[in-house]
Parts: sequence; structure tokens; C-alpha cells
Amino acid sequence: MTEVLRIENLHKSFDELEVLKGIDLTVKKGETVVLLGASGSGKSTMLRCVNFMEIPTSGRIVLQGEPVGREDGERMVYAEKELTLLRARVGMVFQHFNLFPHMTAKENVMEGPKTVLKLDAAECHRRADKYLEKVGLGWKADAYPSQLSGGQQQRIAIARALAMEPELMLFDEATSALDPELVGEVLETMKELAEEGMTMVIVTHELGFAYTVADRVLFLSEGNILEQGAPEAVLIHPQEEGTKNFLRGHGSFRLPTPQLD
Amino acid sequence: MEHNWDFSAVFANKALLLMGLQNTVILGAICLVLGLFFGMFVGMARYSRNPVFYWPSTAFVEVFRNTPVLVQIVWFFFAFPIISPFDINAFTAATLGLTLNTTAFSSEIYRAGIQSIDKGQWEAAKALGMGYGEQMRRIILPQAVKRMIPAFMNRAVELMKMTSLASVIAYGELMHQAKTISTIEFNPIEMYTAVALLFFALIYPAAIAVQHFEKRLAARG
Repeated sequence: MTEVLRIENLHKSFDELEVLKGIDLTVKKGETVVLLGASGSGKSTMLRCVNFMEIPTSGRIVLQGEPVGREDGERMVYAEKELTLLRARVGMVFQHFNLFPHMTAKENVMEGPKTVLKLDAAECHRRADKYLEKVGLGWKADAYPSQLSGGQQQRIAIARALAMEPELMLFDEATSALDPELVGEVLETMKELAEEGMTMVIVTHELGFAYTVADRVLFLSEGNILEQGAPEAVLIHPQEEGTKNFLRGHGSFRLPTPQLD
Repeated sequence: MEHNWDFSAVFANKALLLMGLQNTVILGAICLVLGLFFGMFVGMARYSRNPVFYWPSTAFVEVFRNTPVLVQIVWFFFAFPIISPFDINAFTAATLGLTLNTTAFSSEIYRAGIQSIDKGQWEAAKALGMGYGEQMRRIILPQAVKRMIPAFMNRAVELMKMTSLASVIAYGELMHQAKTISTIEFNPIEMYTAVALLFFALIYPAAIAVQHFEKRLAARG
């Protein structure tokens, strides 16, 4: 299968603090990769380097076989225009949704196609309707974000990213800010996307979701990939002590399967 | 002290006073529109991390915020013509002084308004592929301007009051008209009372509107 994203020897430092210490990753078309790790392990930073919300300190990001930026001696230099075009091709969903509060749900979804892609009005409306429908919120098209639940807001944010018809979707802890009862609807939407063949890189703390939906799980620790593989291998039969400790912490309190009928 | 209040000379010179009032409103309105317009750019420059924009705009704002408006107006009338290639009359000097002053103060309102917007809004706009200008125009300013409206209205109120300073360089606004008439009619007491009432009638409704707006905004959170 064709490769959508390749990360080569990615390093990122904030002043003295080295957050990423040489990450390599290849994501194939239609693949769902989940990044796990303790807070501070660098998983969000890694995700944010992919669409240059953070500028990597060194290393390369290759999208659809084309390296981003150009080499200038030791360093990579990036033209702002190139990064802007790249971001339009990569969808991102944030922990805090970040919907535009002065626009309705539909206007939020139309904003990218209209302002960035400069599509004609008819196509903007078509896309907005299509993707609102896709996340199950066509009936909320005229609602403002403040009138929506957290789960609905996040689904609108997903629709907003999808309306750009991106080649790759990034999810940065998309359910971490949600009340527990609202997490399910967002994960369900993400699962559907994965099943339809969207290429996705997901940072999450939802291990059950990672186990069910991921094609591959990466466990990050202190800026390195400590362990990776199929969900079964990493989450059920971890090899590394760091992964085992992480899973122990997460599995301390668990329900037996509830009887719900 | 005994004084027989006599407003007949005020009414007799009604036309002159109203002309002054009209000039006050014209001067205030022009300076407000220009000041808010230029203030937007200065405010954005103040927000910029680029030193080429940041330092000149900061110097400009500090000079105009930390000198009296009266001095600015007088300076533009007496000193500026010496270095300026074109003629400066009283109206131009007053307009320059008040506009630049309003620009400086409103740029701070823009800056504070822009800074009050959550950084997630910038991030979401950027992640969609918008450039800086699009982020500002489509996402940040529409939200920020709404929060700025009460502060702008306050600025308008202040500006209307400051227009009276243009009387010192003989621009024919309300205060200057009153001064001229009162030297002819020998009735400064009634004349300045009338001026105060006229200013109050002009400004009070605007001040009420500001309070109303602030309450509404606070209620919405």
C-alpha cells in the first residue's frame, strides 16, 4: 500500500528541553496509528510536528512522498506558504474543539472550503451538508457552538476538518476534555472514519479504543518510541518495562463486563 | 454674589452655537472614524513579533498616550507647519492631534481585544490552512471587535469631550463659538452654562448606551 506520511529522525526541543529525540514513523494509506504514552512523553508534540503547528528542530516530514521544506546546510528551512498549503491537506482535531464561536455549525464546516480552498458557494454548501450528515449532526447545522454539547462540538470539529477532504487526519486527545458520557459518540465517529479508510494518527488515552480501532499502536516514552506493533502485541503482550508500567497504571481499576440487558 | 440669570443672548445667538455644535460633531466623528481605522493597524503592529512593526508602533503609542492632547493639538497648529510641506489650518491641526491620539488609545483596545481571544482559535484557523491575514480577518477580529465595542464607545465619549480643546487654536467648534459670543455679549456665565448643557445632551445618551452594552456583554459572559 502507498505511504501517506513518513517521519524521519524527528527531533523537537523547546529551549533546553528535548521533547522528541529521534522519531521514525511511516503511515500507509488507510492506516490508523494510535500514539500512547504518559503525559510529557512527547506524543502531542509529535502529532503537532506533522502539520507544523510546531516546527521540528531537525528531521524530515514527508507527505505523499514529497519532503516538506528544503535543506539549507544542516538545517531545514520552511516557507510559510508551503506550510500553509500543507496544513490545508492535513486535518487536525483538538482536545478543546476550538470551534469558531461566532459561526454556526455549518459555517464552521464551510469556513475551510470557502476561505482556504476558495471553492464556489454551491460546493461549500454541498460539503458542509455532507460532512455534517456524516457526523450525524445535519439537524444542528444552524446551532452555534455554545448551544451544543461537548460531544456535538467535537463532532462538528471533525466535520470541519473533513470538509477539507484531507489526505491525513490528526486527533490530539480528542476526547480528553469531554464528560465521560460524551466520549462514546466521538470515538464512534472516529471509528467509522477509520473503517471507511481514512488515514489517521491519533493521540488518546482511551486504551479500549486503541485496542479496537488501531492498526498499529506506538508507545512513546521520554521522546522515543519505546514499543510498537499491533494493538494485541503492545497492549496485551507488552515487552518493555515502561509499557507494562503504563498499562498497569491504566488497568488498576476495571469493571468486569457489565450486564446491560 | 448676586447674578441675574439672563439667557436671552444665548437664544439670540442660537444659530452660531448650533454651528459650533455641528463643528464639534463633525470634528469628533471624523477623528473617531480615522482613529479607529488607523488604530486597527497600529494595534496589529503592536501585536506583531516582527521588530520592524513592533518598535515604531510602540514608540508612536507611548508618545501619544503620555503627552497631553492639548499639547498635541497646539503642537500640530504652531510647530508642525514649519516642518510640513502643506498648509495647516485649525481644523487640520485639530484633526491631526485628535486622530493620532485616538489612534494610539484605540490601538491598545484592539491589542487587548485580540489578546483576549483564546489561542485555540488561532490554532484551529492555522490548522485549516489559513495564513496570518485570514486568521486575523475571518476568525480573530470578528470575535475581538465584539468585545471591544464598549471600550470604543467610551473612546468616542472621551473624544467628543476632547474636541473642546480645539477652541484654543480657534477652530469654530462649540466651545470656541461660545467664547467668541461671550466676549461680545459679556455673558460668559450663561454662555458656558449653555455649552455644558449642550455637551451633556450630546454625550449622556452615548454614555448610557455604553453602560447598557457593557451590562449585556457581561450577562452573556
